[in-house]
Amino acid sequence: MLLAELELDLEVFSGPFDLLLTLVLRDVVDLLELQLAEVVVTYLDFLQARGELDLEAATEFIVLVAALLELKSRLMLAGEDDELFEFEPGEAAEELLARMLEARRYRGAADYLEGRLADQPEVRYRQAALPVSLRRRSLEDVDGAIWNPASLGRALGGLLAMPAKLDLRHIGSSRVTVGERLLHLRDLLRRVSALDFDDAVRGADRMTVAMTVFALLELYKRGEATWTQDEPFSQITIRPAASPAATG
Amino acid sequence: MEDQARIEVRPLDELARVVEALLFLSGEPVGPGELAEACEEPVEAVERALGELREQYVTGARGLVLREVAGGWTLASDPVAEPAARRLLAKPRLAALTPAQLETLAIVAYLQPVSRPEIARIRGVDADSPVASLLDRGLIEESGRSQFGAAVYRTTTLFLKLFGLQSTDGLPEVSQWDPSPEEIETLRDRLLRAGEARASGAPRDDADSNRLT
Repeated sequence: MLLAELELDLEVFSGPFDLLLTLVLRDVVDLLELQLAEVVVTYLDFLQARGELDLEAATEFIVLVAALLELKSRLMLAGEDDELFEFEPGEAAEELLARMLEARRYRGAADYLEGRLADQPEVRYRQAALPVSLRRRSLEDVDGAIWNPASLGRALGGLLAMPAKLDLRHIGSSRVTVGERLLHLRDLLRRVSALDFDDAVRGADRMTVAMTVFALLELYKRGEATWTQDEPFSQITIRPAASPAATG
Repeated sequence: MEDQARIEVRPLDELARVVEALLFLSGEPVGPGELAEACEEPVEAVERALGELREQYVTGARGLVLREVAGGWTLASDPVAEPAARRLLAKPRLAALTPAQLETLAIVAYLQPVSRPEIARIRGVDADSPVASLLDRGLIEESGRSQFGAAVYRTTTLFLKLFGLQSTDGLPEVSQWDPSPEEIETLRDRLLRAGEARASGAPRDDADSNRLT
């Protein structure tokens, strides 16, 4: 199994993945101290190194890590449902006993079947079944529900009904336009001789900030304003083009 | 068993001949109801014909035996032919079942329909391989899905034929293989001691263990 080859080098453990599992299950390695993210990162590196994705191994890995995660999160939430997984020795013994008895019951049944099989006369039956085309079928052989016209009607009815219109209101759409931001900038520029870009977009979301930049570019193109920025990411100062203080 | 000395060539009733032919043609056991329908005769008449056939097929009379299994009647080879059949067909009548397969088969036989996870839970080990072998050998088959979407299995007609059963209702009561109360008590004691040994270090709760012994 490929997964067994996965070598881990973690803070609390170093060795193959399957050994880690064994140690966790035996309480030798404390799951609470184990950084599962490290395990996942190691696995991803491992996958990259191999250059191929073995779906079966990947599935196994996901299942195991999910189980570990669940176990760990339960441990971290200890106190709320302690009794669910922390048995008293007596309770654990009862649980185990019930399982052993059940298993033993069917082992007994298995022994019986084995004996019964051995005691059967050595007869042989014809093994070739009739070809399907020659077999006679009666309606009683078929599950009645399949032939129930009402269920066919319901299925067709379901297909014919128009589905309810999807409610898309929860999907946010950009409500800000370049035109609005243009008006906003012009309004601000009418009142001051120089304007800090940050002030123009204070409290605005990313989309609005982006639209404001477009509006600014538009103003510049139309010769209505100029802007200066001393270095990347520093303050942007906007001035109306007509202002005598404009330096270009 | 009938007196074997009385074997003689005696023409069969026409209906008995038809029933015999149908059993010869059919690969699976056929019930009296089905036979009656095919022959367009009342079930009682078919039962009489089957009785006549039974006399003819009394063990030791012919190379075939008439067997009542899986809720119907079927023809099978006489055990006397088995060594020769083995040489002719080069295929064992039934390859031995492993203990894991037998256990799995027992669980399916008693609890059907039952899912693979449930089988694994009872046996305490993974059931994939024995389930696959039993499916492959035609002893069990899928019979739908559980409410959680897992495939559930049941035993097949072949199972009934091989184990000489009329139906799974004919299996003995399963609780007879439960250990005796004394054995259960011994087991419980051993488990408790093991549990306490493991929990040593943690404060021991004697009242609790006393309650269970």
